[in-house]
Amino acid sequence: MLSVHNPFPTTPKPSLNLNSSTQPFSSTFKPHFPNTLKPPKPHKPHFTTRTQSLLQYNRKPQLAGETPRVVVITSGKGGVGKTTTTANVGLSLARLGFSVVAIDADVGLRNLDLLLGLENRVNYTVVEVLNGDCRLDQALVRDKRWSNFELLCISKPRSKLPIGFGGKALVWLVDALKSRQEGSPDFIIIDCPAGIDAGFITAITPANEAVLVTTPDITSLRDADRVTGLLECDGIRDIKMIVNRVRTDMIKGDDMMSVLDVQEMLGLSLLGVIPEDSEVIRSTNRGYPLVLNKPPTLAGLAFEQAAWRLVEQDSMQAVMMEEEPKKRGFFSFFGG
Amino acid sequence: MASIWTLQFQPISLQPSIWVSKRQTHLNFVKLRPEFRFISSSIKQLNRKFVLGANSGSPSDPDEPAVKTQTITVAVKDQLSKLHGTINSFPPLVFVMNRYGGSNLAIGLCIAIALLVIAVRVYAVRKLRHRTPGSVADLVRRGQLRSDRRGISRPLKYEDPFNNPMVKVGKSNSTVEMCGKVYRLAPVTLTEEQQAIHQKRRSRAYQWKRPTVFLKEGESVPADVDPDTIQWIPANHPFATTANDIDEDLAQNNVYQKHGVPFRIKAEHEAMQRKLEALQGGQKLNNLMIDPRNAKDFERPFKEHPGSREQVEQSSFNNQTSDSMPPTSDPAPISDESNSSSEETQKL
Repeated sequence: MLSVHNPFPTTPKPSLNLNSSTQPFSSTFKPHFPNTLKPPKPHKPHFTTRTQSLLQYNRKPQLAGETPRVVVITSGKGGVGKTTTTANVGLSLARLGFSVVAIDADVGLRNLDLLLGLENRVNYTVVEVLNGDCRLDQALVRDKRWSNFELLCISKPRSKLPIGFGGKALVWLVDALKSRQEGSPDFIIIDCPAGIDAGFITAITPANEAVLVTTPDITSLRDADRVTGLLECDGIRDIKMIVNRVRTDMIKGDDMMSVLDVQEMLGLSLLGVIPEDSEVIRSTNRGYPLVLNKPPTLAGLAFEQAAWRLVEQDSMQAVMMEEEPKKRGFFSFFGG
Repeated sequence: MASIWTLQFQPISLQPSIWVSKRQTHLNFVKLRPEFRFISSSIKQLNRKFVLGANSGSPSDPDEPAVKTQTITVAVKDQLSKLHGTINSFPPLVFVMNRYGGSNLAIGLCIAIALLVIAVRVYAVRKLRHRTPGSVADLVRRGQLRSDRRGISRPLKYEDPFNNPMVKVGKSNSTVEMCGKVYRLAPVTLTEEQQAIHQKRRSRAYQWKRPTVFLKEGESVPADVDPDTIQWIPANHPFATTANDIDEDLAQNNVYQKHGVPFRIKAEHEAMQRKLEALQGGQKLNNLMIDPRNAKDFERPFKEHPGSREQVEQSSFNNQTSDSMPPTSDPAPISDESNSSSEETQKL
């Protein structure tokens, strides 16, 4: 899905107070200025509609927030696309020039390495690091396609671990990554396991922000709402939503909830809307995330846009609703 | 003679750009390729030759040769004039080039063509390099190579996912055409107030505290512990336990280790080292032990004394009885070692 940015930055200017979310910009808006300050030159509007595409090419997205940004990608319900989102958003961030460490925090079922095509290169996991069989840098698997992307897996331990130990271990890991010689990574993305059990509690322990992946169906939304509540109780306030597997044709036919309906139910900012794409399965089979496809697919493009917004801590201001194509007249054949 | 003349006539009747066969090599101008500078001089020679050739005909018919020569010269002259006319119709460059030699012209042409081909090829290769992916510029773009070192002055271009050519934004900026479908842009309607309302709703609905105490099913709840922070673990959990057998400090140190051999590997190496040293130490001790069966060889001969002889006999009897006793643990290595030691002493 293509998103359209509000042309005004989210940080308000000192002299102008703009509500960038819903209030339409009006040419008759009059800002208030203190008497001691000179009023700035009136800002002439170049458009009248609420939304306008903002061309931002030939620049790198500006990293907002403190590094490393520890982001947990969770959902509650299984199979909605957490691991796919982790792989694609992580690689998009690496392509944008940021150093990324992706942690597969699913202790029992390891999948992120399969999606990235790195399954044959995982020799050591966090369990071996904890036991002293290897160092942390030996357990990190560097992607040869993008050298600033690294993978770390938490495998199933040979012996049982104390249940509260996992969270502590992840905190140590994040701390060790911060203080490593190559420098702190810009992003640490944690792929959370499904459910709200011990694995979920472990995965969210070191996180500062969360990306909630959901699909536009009621079962996923109910679980997502619960997970959001747990995240907020644990102190994670920066929670954004990615609506995955959107079928615009079904939304048009009222067979599927629209993205705006989903947002109305959950009350979360939108980070991205990913359309249903069969290329996702093909890319999983190949071990080649679909953001690397050239030309990019629709879903790949949507993931890249979501990664861009994640970097700048931005959110979507508009969504796309499918419409009937315009009926072309006779003269359209001639280019009219 | 007629036959000679016909042969000689043949090249004349050809067009100026003549490729003459090797058989017709009598005349100068037929040897040459279209080097027309020789034609005018050779035409005169040809006239003379024809005249001479005609004159060398049979004397039996004096009139006929003369008539023949006249007709021949006229024909030749006509042909030559025609040839001359066609030559004159060529661009003058040809004559200018003729001044400097045909071979030099060919060489110059070849060099010029070669230079042109090289230039075209270089241009095409450069263009191809820019078009095909996987060039060094991609390495610079990816950050593998520094652009300032390579002197690439073009700025890095980031692919903008918001400006993809596949997506066509309508003039009114409210419609988007993508992959044959038309979409309308609908603005997001969630306000900050609505977000706050949702947060309050969730805080009321989901009151959860991070568990700090983990108990197995059946265990009693300790006093002064918030029941909300207790997590009950089923007995058949695949990889969770309440027992804290792991040394957390050690595990933390393992995570923070940046250099050197990992702890467990180092511990295993040290254990193996100690074992090896112990084994080696044991072998040395065994080598130092003397076999009592061979002790007699090393004894000094005693002076004969009735008391001492009895003592010796007793000691020898004792040794015999000890040898006849059943062997204790590891007799084989001891006997082997004793044999080896005896062999060594024999060698000495």
